[in-house]
Amino acid sequence: MESWTPMFDAVLLFREALYGALVIGLACSVLGVYVVLRRIVFVGAALAELSSAGIALALWLEGQSLMLGLATHPIALALILTIAGVLFFGAGGGRGRIPPDATIGVTYAVAGAAGILLISKAAVGEAHDIFLAGSILGITREDTLILLAVAVPVLILHVVFYKEFLFVSFDRETARTLGYNINVWNLLLYFTLGLVIAFAMQSAGVMLVFNFLVLPAVTGLLVSRTMGGVFLWSIVSALVAGLIGFTLSVRFDLPTSPAIIAVSGVLVLLAFLVRLAQRR
Amino acid sequence: MTDLVRFDHATLGYGRRAVLSGLSFSLVEGDFLGMVGPNGAGKTTILRAILRTLDPQAGTVSHAPNIRFGYVPQRDQVDYNFPLTVVDVVLMGRYNRIGLGRRPTDRDRDLACKALDHVGILELADQPLSSLSGGQKQRTLIARALVGEPNVLVLDEPTSGMDLVSTTQILGLVRELHERDNLTVLMVSHALNEVANYVQRIALVMNGGFRIGPVDEIMTQSVLSDMYGIPVEVDSFNGHRIVVARRDGIVDADV
Repeated sequence: MESWTPMFDAVLLFREALYGALVIGLACSVLGVYVVLRRIVFVGAALAELSSAGIALALWLEGQSLMLGLATHPIALALILTIAGVLFFGAGGGRGRIPPDATIGVTYAVAGAAGILLISKAAVGEAHDIFLAGSILGITREDTLILLAVAVPVLILHVVFYKEFLFVSFDRETARTLGYNINVWNLLLYFTLGLVIAFAMQSAGVMLVFNFLVLPAVTGLLVSRTMGGVFLWSIVSALVAGLIGFTLSVRFDLPTSPAIIAVSGVLVLLAFLVRLAQRR
Repeated sequence: MTDLVRFDHATLGYGRRAVLSGLSFSLVEGDFLGMVGPNGAGKTTILRAILRTLDPQAGTVSHAPNIRFGYVPQRDQVDYNFPLTVVDVVLMGRYNRIGLGRRPTDRDRDLACKALDHVGILELADQPLSSLSGGQKQRTLIARALVGEPNVLVLDEPTSGMDLVSTTQILGLVRELHERDNLTVLMVSHALNEVANYVQRIALVMNGGFRIGPVDEIMTQSVLSDMYGIPVEVDSFNGHRIVVARRDGIVDADV
């Protein structure tokens, strides 16, 4: 029992970071169900890279003494680039001669590279891997409150308009014939996704945000056969992965985001085994 | 007969590109109309104009004020990876009546079950949609269209990819809904032989042309040869019309 005490003390020491990670996990795991079911997993990744490019741009501008107040604040630029991506992908961008997945790939690669290039030349820039691994242990109470201020309205919106988001995702043509404005609902879905990604990216980094958008939803889809069950299992697995991964990273001095992702991966594997057992 | 949808010299298309022009016809109350043509001929374009999701570029497409569509999309338009039960899917047909942000009530669920009973698959209500056969999936989508209490049932390629038994059962169900419930039905298909033996009128959409009339008027050698652009024969077998294309003495029944 005594050997656990230092671990709990260490977790308590970083509890603000844990709360932040859990808020990000909660919001991303709900939106992730749509991301996975609508097969827009890489739109999520591209939006995360756009967000990181925005942060890098702000840091580079700061290094060049070109800060223009709030307009060049990292979160503002992250939001601007992410929302631009939301408008592009949400309105069906790239449906022309170039296949949509190629457009997503171009966005992902260019935004990712631009972010790294900008941060490498930013005087105030931190390590490059901030874009991949994030700096989740640096989350403060203020950060968590900001994340809550974004996540709670987004989640309420998704609870209230659950059937609308479900219908336009499941069968857009029929929804259109029943009077639903598909473009508006798609944009709203993408907008909430972009909003959560832009704010989560500040502290969680591309890798962890992408993990929370995909792996918990996959776990949910493997375990449950109803939409309610999928959402529930997605949320539970994100929170469990966040809690266990965070605790293990503190106990064994591991990088936090990869530890959380590793636990998410184990949960997917367990869910897959459950699915196999259900089939027999 | 009341016109439910009326096309008056309508030009339909996307952007600046016109797909069909000079369309003038009506879908009348009590109609059982089959719209037939190859893929890419413009059937879906006309369908969208009928369903009010596409405005004409020129001319008018007018709708009766009390019109309520029940739309059955092509089966592959629906994503079967969604973990939804059959009754979940049928309930979607009432979403626009339930209102934004509101949840389905017990009455909505009762109506969904009645619709499933109506198409003969009530016992599948709680089954996952993905576990159903092609014919059962189609019945689910028809039930979803019916639960909105429509006066026009619109089916887009309802038998596409189905075997002979399922095709016969689905077309029989559609005819039954037309006769028993006095529903106006518009059925879109690329298979003339299937549609011709069930509907009352046929609209042919092909090679940029459009022709509509009673089955007897359309199912003639001269009309079909003219529309298809190849020699066509129309025969009868046990009361069923069969259309065959004749190419250099070889009969091809794939029209």
